[in-house]
Amino acid sequence: MNLRRRSKLLVEPPAVATGDIAFNLIVFFLVCVSVSPDTGRKQDIPKAEPKKEEKDQTKPTEVSIGRGAVLINGNAVTVDDFEAKLTSALRTKDASASEIRSMSDANRIVVVSTKDDKNTPYKLWIKVTATIERVGGIVTLQLEEERTVETD
Amino acid sequence: MKCVRKTVKADVPSVAMGDIAFLLLIFFVILARAEDDSHLKWQPANIPKVENLGNSEVSVLINDDHKVFLNGAQIGIDQLSALISKRLENKGTGARKVRLKAHDTAPASIFEPVIEAISAAGGELEHVLEETLEQK
Repeated sequence: MNLRRRSKLLVEPPAVATGDIAFNLIVFFLVCVSVSPDTGRKQDIPKAEPKKEEKDQTKPTEVSIGRGAVLINGNAVTVDDFEAKLTSALRTKDASASEIRSMSDANRIVVVSTKDDKNTPYKLWIKVTATIERVGGIVTLQLEEERTVETD
Repeated sequence: MKCVRKTVKADVPSVAMGDIAFLLLIFFVILARAEDDSHLKWQPANIPKVENLGNSEVSVLINDDHKVFLNGAQIGIDQLSALISKRLENKGTGARKVRLKAHDTAPASIFEPVIEAISAAGGELEHVLEETLEQK
């Protein structure tokens, strides 16, 4: 009688490595998540300072945003025409300058206001201010003044 | 008769090392997320051209409910300037970046005071935006 002895070997993956595999997987996914940096644009907003009374001060260009319309010095323009109209409005400040960026800072100031519509969406505001900066203007915000009214 | 004593090895189980590392990692990830605003819902506005922004320690977010968050924690607009100033203390030019993540439909009544607060705190404002996709 031929009796063959069978040797049973336990074959299973080494349990020691599972923790290391999990660790490496986490590191991999963390690295994948952190590779997409934020995109956007920088904006210099002049700090609010007490206003000095100056008689010779030139009146800055005013842009008012509200109710789906954009006004340049009180004249309504469409969002598509805004860049061209703003360029010509800034150009009238100093005709001798070859380009807007070579003009003095005082002539490049554009006061942006939303006082007509406080529900102006951020996407419209950012579009307008991005255009002002692209043209060469300096964005300044006109914010609501706080006033204390005393009643009897 | 000589009796041989059986020696028992007393090792630290190496099987557990990976698991310990794993738990430590989860612990630190959760700690890091406490100052993160990735769980907040907002839609960035689009402009034609954007640039890559570097790192910034201060992030102000206006979510889709028009609520204001500073580094992931909800705060009132009145507190914003003081808290940003505190975080930017002893930081020089170039290190005073404040990232603004505003939802695209956030009204001016919310985002303008936020911009004013960042400016008053001496922060260097950076808008987080997306590039407009070209239509074919």
